[in-house]
Amino acid sequence: MNNRIIVSAAGSGKTTFLVNQALKLKNESVLITTYTEANESEIKQKIYEIHGCIPSNITVMTWFSFLLKHGVRPYQDALETELSDKMIGFYLTNRKSGHRYGTVYWGESDFYKYFFNPQLKIYSDKVSKFILRINDETNNQVFKRIGLIFENIFIDEVQDLVGYDYDLLHHLFKLPISVLLVGDPRQVTYLTHPTSKYPKYRYGKLIEFIRDKINTKEIVCEVDTDTLKVSHRNNNKTCDYSSLLYPELPAIVACECCRDDLVAHQGLYMVKPSDLDVYLERFNPIQIRWNKNTPISKKTFAINMGKSKGLTFDRTLLYPTEKMINWIRDNSFKLKNETKAKFYVALTRARYSTAIVLNYKETEEFRGLQKYSPGGYNE
Amino acid sequence: MDFSEGINIIVGNNESGKSTILEAINLCLSGIINGKYLRNELSQYLFNKKISDDYIDSLKTNQKIKPPEICIEVIFDKETYPNFMGTANLSKSEESGVVLKIEFNEEYQSEYKEYVESGESITTIPIEYYKVSWYSCSREAVTGRSIPIKPVLIDSTSPKYQNGSDIYISRIIKNYLDDKEKVNLSQAYRSMKQSFMEELSVVEINKKLNQSAGLTSKKLEISADLPTQNAWEKSLMTYIDEIPFHQIGKGEQCIVKTNLALSHGKTEEAHLVLIEEPESHLTHTRLNELLKNIQDLCDRKQLIITTHSSFVANKLLLKNLILLNDFRTTRLIELSNSTFEFFRRLPGYPTLRLLLTKKTILVEGDSDELIFQRAYMDTHRERLPIADGIDVISVILTFKRFLEIAKLIELHVAVITDNDGNFVKNIQEKYRDYEGLPNIKIFADNNNSLYTLEPQFVDANADNLEMLCEVFGISKGKYNSIEKITKYMETHKTEWALKVFESDKTFQYPAYIKSALDWCDDE
Repeated sequence: MNNRIIVSAAGSGKTTFLVNQALKLKNESVLITTYTEANESEIKQKIYEIHGCIPSNITVMTWFSFLLKHGVRPYQDALETELSDKMIGFYLTNRKSGHRYGTVYWGESDFYKYFFNPQLKIYSDKVSKFILRINDETNNQVFKRIGLIFENIFIDEVQDLVGYDYDLLHHLFKLPISVLLVGDPRQVTYLTHPTSKYPKYRYGKLIEFIRDKINTKEIVCEVDTDTLKVSHRNNNKTCDYSSLLYPELPAIVACECCRDDLVAHQGLYMVKPSDLDVYLERFNPIQIRWNKNTPISKKTFAINMGKSKGLTFDRTLLYPTEKMINWIRDNSFKLKNETKAKFYVALTRARYSTAIVLNYKETEEFRGLQKYSPGGYNE
Repeated sequence: MDFSEGINIIVGNNESGKSTILEAINLCLSGIINGKYLRNELSQYLFNKKISDDYIDSLKTNQKIKPPEICIEVIFDKETYPNFMGTANLSKSEESGVVLKIEFNEEYQSEYKEYVESGESITTIPIEYYKVSWYSCSREAVTGRSIPIKPVLIDSTSPKYQNGSDIYISRIIKNYLDDKEKVNLSQAYRSMKQSFMEELSVVEINKKLNQSAGLTSKKLEISADLPTQNAWEKSLMTYIDEIPFHQIGKGEQCIVKTNLALSHGKTEEAHLVLIEEPESHLTHTRLNELLKNIQDLCDRKQLIITTHSSFVANKLLLKNLILLNDFRTTRLIELSNSTFEFFRRLPGYPTLRLLLTKKTILVEGDSDELIFQRAYMDTHRERLPIADGIDVISVILTFKRFLEIAKLIELHVAVITDNDGNFVKNIQEKYRDYEGLPNIKIFADNNNSLYTLEPQFVDANADNLEMLCEVFGISKGKYNSIEKITKYMETHKTEWALKVFESDKTFQYPAYIKSALDWCDDE
């Protein structure tokens, strides 16, 4: 039993770290799993880059593939014997599943309607719960089996897990294997599926969950906020400023290795709407907006905040929402989880400069931000 | 069927299903049958004849049976391959293993309805609507590659492997090579094409072809065919002393294949070697060599061998024997060590005779055997007992060794023996362990004065001593008493019995022998 969760900074090279850890384990079986298919293929890509091929002891699959293959199917008949020779499919949903009528949903006593769609596809938001039920019924056989197959389980972007997934993690921690979780609790820009389980610990509160509900004398998951706190993407100013959003977590630090001091115009800037055209012309930043209803300039490429996760640009230009502006003016302003996460993501995309569109008065000063004036010295 | 680690020997009569078991295991683990991939070999002949007949007959009645299916499960040691663990198996409990099913494909329901309605004309299983499902107990599709146990089936008895024998030997060779060697081999094969194309005469020919190819403006040339992924496997031939593998003797093929399979050293893969009747096509000495190799090299490998030969069974240890009879399997594993040793050293290897016959009569010696056979023929229209599936084995004084096996696996065995002058001690007490067993019967006379076959036989024919003298060719005047004739017989043991056996006179037989005859006729 060797469990660790590493809190990673944006741009800290988390995937590279994870892949290198896995490649070090030559004689042990390793599962690397992550919530999204995009990240799964990024992990595979990374392994090819570093190693040339995926070694036979390493398995990469998405969280749901893993749950279906090793959680659901081996003992799928534990609750209903007639499921034994049926093919259970998978139904991805981002809404609460098992709708009956109006605002009424099927309950667990209506086994099939609760867990499956009419084609016997298991609802994505109920997979974890189904596995927990099987595991109880089979005297922990589901996890025993998983423990026999994988000596190491690595989960990337662990902040994407919610609700009953936490209970699955709890079971994994009990196994005599190594579990390594990596993720950034600051980057929960959306909930991967609706759940009423553990509402208090939604939006990246996994660490709090581990501290409150999991860690005991017998089971420990070590929380590591150090290993991946260094950003290879953002400079110091950006790191310091974005860290202000999450004062409860250790601040992110810019690395020494990737800095290029010869590039002009680095750091965080405020740009008045009236200077926007000049700024876009001059620096050609990627525009980052809340959603497609945000009015932007057609001059450069634009992306939504949520979609920008994981991406790196040289320079960005942010269109903050009203609430974000409130926070810029007063860093103690309470942002909603989703807003805060998206703002954090948007702030940490740029290698050199992050500009925020803000109609400020010349007399105003904001912590951490420089004023941009065309032709000024800070160009 | 349970198999143990190391060597397993399956014995059984013809048609008892020995080969089917080997083929089923091989099919379930490799997807290959008769040397070809199952998907190309699906046919109704894979199905049990009785089952397919019952099915076809039922379609002509009102009580239709659902299309028959074949299901093979190979179960591994638990927890050795956790990836294969789950409840998808016939027992629906947790096992680690592979399942292969040849079953009706439900997607063809509407076509099937038409088919069934054509009733009278149906003569075959509708195999065109069948599919092959191949999955692990954890309900995951498997391939020959993903299954960790690689089987090698060695069968030199059957002509059906002749066509597929190329792929057959290359499979064994392939298993023998590690990944790197395989890549090197296929690379070397590919570079052959290159050097062919660069050969001066080929270049000349291609030039000429191109000049005269008025038909098309495209380039025309001759090249070695080198195509698909695994072409090299099919194009490379194995040679033994410069003779193509499939041209050498069948027995030799068997030896080479077996040795290759056994010496295979890839540790990460478990190996299963299936050998069908190794005794066929081999001389006694070559067979001995092969068996010695099997014993020496089977370490960490599992072997399943079918045989008809007592010699093979004894050499490879009776302990490993699995008897297949009426779809039932029994094992000899619980026999005492001394009994194993006894049978191992026994000349003539009568073990399998005991195992494979319906009923066995054990007698002390040659004269007992001859007299019993003669008595049997007298009462069964001149038929020898063996013609009715009853074997008579002469075992001297080792009855109990045979009875130990008979008791363990419920064989029908009778003992015909002398009381040697003490019925209580030599019969009742000696065979106490077998009292009351329905399958074992001891026939002996309780008259202690008739202590052996000779006085018994004279006693039975006491009314006709002169005829006995005539049959034996001795003087009626000189041998004029029961005692004298008995004395003569005791000094000419086999001789008198042979004369009785060959005589055309009518004899009477002792009561215990007659009881044994009745036992033979019991169902």
